[in-house]
Amino acid sequence: MRLLAQLGSSLRFLFRRRAVERQIDEELRAHAAHRAEDLVRRGVDPAEAERRALAELGLVGQVKEDIRDALPAAMRIDGWTKDVRYALRRMRAAPGFTAVAALTLALGIGGTSAIFTVVKAVLLEPMPYRDPGRLVLLWNEFPGQGVLRAPGSGFELAEIRRQTQSLDAVAGIWGGNGTILGEGDPEHVKVGFVTGNFFPVLGADPLLGRTLAPDDEGDGRAGAVVLSHGLWRRKFGADPNVIGRTVRFDGTTATVVGVMPPDFRMLFPPDAQVPTEILAWIPFQQDIAAQPKNLHYLRYVARLRPGATVAEANDDVAAIGRRLSDEFTEFGGDHIGLRAVAMHADAVHEIRPALLALFGGVALVLLIACVNVANLLLARGSARRKEMALRAAVGASRGRLLRQLLLESLLLAAAGGALGLVLGAICLDRLAALAPLGVLPPAPLALDRGVVAFAALVTLVAGVAFGIAPALDASRVNVADVLKSAAGNTSTMGRRGRAALVVAEVALSFVLLVGAGLMIRTFVAVQGVDPGLRADGALTFEINLPFGRYRGDDARSTFVRTFVERLRALPGVTAVGGVSHLPFDDYPNWYSPYAPVGTSDERRRTLMADHRAATPDYLRAVGATLVRGRFYDELDEAAGRAVVVIDEKLAAEAWPGEDPVGKMIECEHIARGNFQPEQAQVVGVVRHVFSHRLTHQVRGQIYIPYPRSARNHLSFVMRTGGDPLLLVGAVRGETAKLDKELALAKVRPLSDYLDRAARPARFTMVLGTIFGGLALALAAIGLYGVIATSVSQRSREMGVRLALGAAPRRLLRQVLGEGMALTLAGLALGALGALAATRLLGALLFGVSPVDPATYLVAAAVLPVAALLASWLPARRAARGNPMDALRAE
Amino acid sequence: MILQTLALQPMHGYGIAQRLEQVTGGAVGVSPGSLFPALYRLEHRGWLRGKWGESESGRRARFYALTPAGRRQLGVEKENWDRVALAIHRIVEGSRG
Repeated sequence: MRLLAQLGSSLRFLFRRRAVERQIDEELRAHAAHRAEDLVRRGVDPAEAERRALAELGLVGQVKEDIRDALPAAMRIDGWTKDVRYALRRMRAAPGFTAVAALTLALGIGGTSAIFTVVKAVLLEPMPYRDPGRLVLLWNEFPGQGVLRAPGSGFELAEIRRQTQSLDAVAGIWGGNGTILGEGDPEHVKVGFVTGNFFPVLGADPLLGRTLAPDDEGDGRAGAVVLSHGLWRRKFGADPNVIGRTVRFDGTTATVVGVMPPDFRMLFPPDAQVPTEILAWIPFQQDIAAQPKNLHYLRYVARLRPGATVAEANDDVAAIGRRLSDEFTEFGGDHIGLRAVAMHADAVHEIRPALLALFGGVALVLLIACVNVANLLLARGSARRKEMALRAAVGASRGRLLRQLLLESLLLAAAGGALGLVLGAICLDRLAALAPLGVLPPAPLALDRGVVAFAALVTLVAGVAFGIAPALDASRVNVADVLKSAAGNTSTMGRRGRAALVVAEVALSFVLLVGAGLMIRTFVAVQGVDPGLRADGALTFEINLPFGRYRGDDARSTFVRTFVERLRALPGVTAVGGVSHLPFDDYPNWYSPYAPVGTSDERRRTLMADHRAATPDYLRAVGATLVRGRFYDELDEAAGRAVVVIDEKLAAEAWPGEDPVGKMIECEHIARGNFQPEQAQVVGVVRHVFSHRLTHQVRGQIYIPYPRSARNHLSFVMRTGGDPLLLVGAVRGETAKLDKELALAKVRPLSDYLDRAARPARFTMVLGTIFGGLALALAAIGLYGVIATSVSQRSREMGVRLALGAAPRRLLRQVLGEGMALTLAGLALGALGALAATRLLGALLFGVSPVDPATYLVAAAVLPVAALLASWLPARRAARGNPMDALRAE
Repeated sequence: MILQTLALQPMHGYGIAQRLEQVTGGAVGVSPGSLFPALYRLEHRGWLRGKWGESESGRRARFYALTPAGRRQLGVEKENWDRVALAIHRIVEGSRG
């Protein structure tokens, strides 16, 4: 009953807040009027009566506030706005403190938001395909040769489709190149050669027209092409009637059947070598199931049957792989394995550890920032004890004080959060410029609603996290004690709490510093790798000889020979070479089994090498180092000799301890469009040219004379004494003179490829170093704050000691010692943390152990130095203090 | 005390203050700063009900009246008070004796 009445009253207040406010006003006015009347009746002058009546009413605002406190919570919103106003006033009153605290938080929140944006875009958001959770990738594995993520063949695809129990449909793609002639200059573009069902399997709809259908694929079909949004706009002027237009593609024609929407991208793992930015999709124009069974080039993407899981699909395809291995001798005893993996997880599996490590790092920075602000608040809390005591004395409850203090920290956090979002947006641009290729979606990353919500949540949590301890401390005041004692503006909890916070800060910073140190050492190690080539002073570009016009190996070889001669004749050029696969290029790799002639079958299964078709001067142009024998030359080419150059890795693997020059090797070459086995003689050995990663040599290498593997796709390297980019105009001119419809692509210095390869290490190193630096700075600031307040609070004690003849140096030592003690405690804790945390970095490190002693030592040396600097200023102040000043101030 | 004052008749805020002062012979002076919050608290608890009306001098004023719940509460409070008063009386007596 009473409860109901109260509820009714609460509701009334809630809904009629304004009315109630008015009522209070009116009532107080009536009260004053009555009082005045009364006084007049008693003979007081009316003006004086009115003055006295109002004076008795006291501070009208205070009375109203008290009335509100008597009302249900719903009514107290006004109290909140008042508190907010009060808090804002406090913040304005201490602009230095507010700025430092808000900036500290902004660094933490901004960094966290920026990294979170990337994490969200790359790891959290579902792929932009229909029902992406049901997409799987299938990989071949040749465990004997240590190859676990190999592409598959057309024949195998047909078998999987025929036998699968768990997959609805399986599609294949191969990332290649082609030259498209639309409006303007011929353009060399990245093309996805796909099976007819590729788009339906992926679950992507066109913007215009249709995607490809199964009957677009196969022998003798009229060529169909689906354009990317970018190519459609650039090459076809965004023509809405483009559907049905014929375009010339690689010397043949194809009909545009569809245009994809702008956000459609290929999201395959980097080692699938399906570039994100494919510009045109073309169905296979031959019966891929009839291709040689050992031609492995297809990247499979498949859709799970309803109800089937990835694990079931994996078992299913593994069984298919075993059956194929057993039934078909074409695999040459290669025990083929097949496995299925969830597409999204696989696509991000390389970048995931780096992103998570960075996210962890930036979260630590945020934590340190929070600890720092908590520290500042505690310090201020001590100084504000008198204010709190005063408020408590005039009747503010502890809850009220707590609320006030928490509100202040939340407002501070909000300021930091808002500033942080701005910072985050700025960071994001820098981040995008720094990120390894293919990591970030090409669409500009934006601080979208999700990120803002995340930042708001972080802000809220941070506000409470750093605010609660100081608020509890500051609101726990004993009025009498504080007001009585002049020196009583310290709180033991404040001091001890702050010391603990500084220890935590130092520990966290140590973890970050060690992480940053390991990243730096990794980067240095990556930079220190001798890639086996000379990156400076070389220009590269690639061409794709249109199939239609360069039919036959001879036509291609003749063109390439002439082209190389023309380029070689350009002024300033010292060497020119063409190669099928540039180091660190995203063009699908060519690797195949090889064997020294006369090897046992057993051993043969374990040998695999990267094959490269190269013109005679390629190795010279790229700057490879000849170790033994010679490069093959024009005479070998002209005579059609089956000769190869191999690298040291392969030499050591095939003929350990022997001179490989003159030895015969079984490898592969391409003749009339097919991979053929051949026996060739080794004429020279070069140092390994790193081609996939800077961190390890993946496979041995075999260089085959271009005419013996005359492919359509070829990259060129031109060595010059000067700036390689100055050659570009001349190269274009020579190309146009030979073939007007030939397009050059990826015209860039050779050094670009190395830079790209070093980018992941640079990315984690730069960010790691920034985080480590921030952590160090924040920890130093925190330490400075603690020591400085501790000194100023004990200035009387110091003054007395100086007055009694204590040596200033002793005081200096004592204060410094205090800072050092905190730092050492932090270091000890941090070392434990670092040992645990860096173990998670394993995948990101190269050339350095997660427990690298040097890194730990440097980090352990840097922190005390920073700590010494941070405590030096307050310590000197303590030691130099004039005893009289300190005593007089009391 | 407020409840007791209102037991006889509804009154407005100033009236209550005056009455309390009169009754206690000026011993208890009630400032508006404590009176009004108390009134609102009591009203919120459902022991009082405030209504706008005309005061004797023809001013609009808010008159407070006891609700039945307030009357019951007054009984409880009185009993409590009597007990406390008795206790104080005894202590005072005891210390004297």
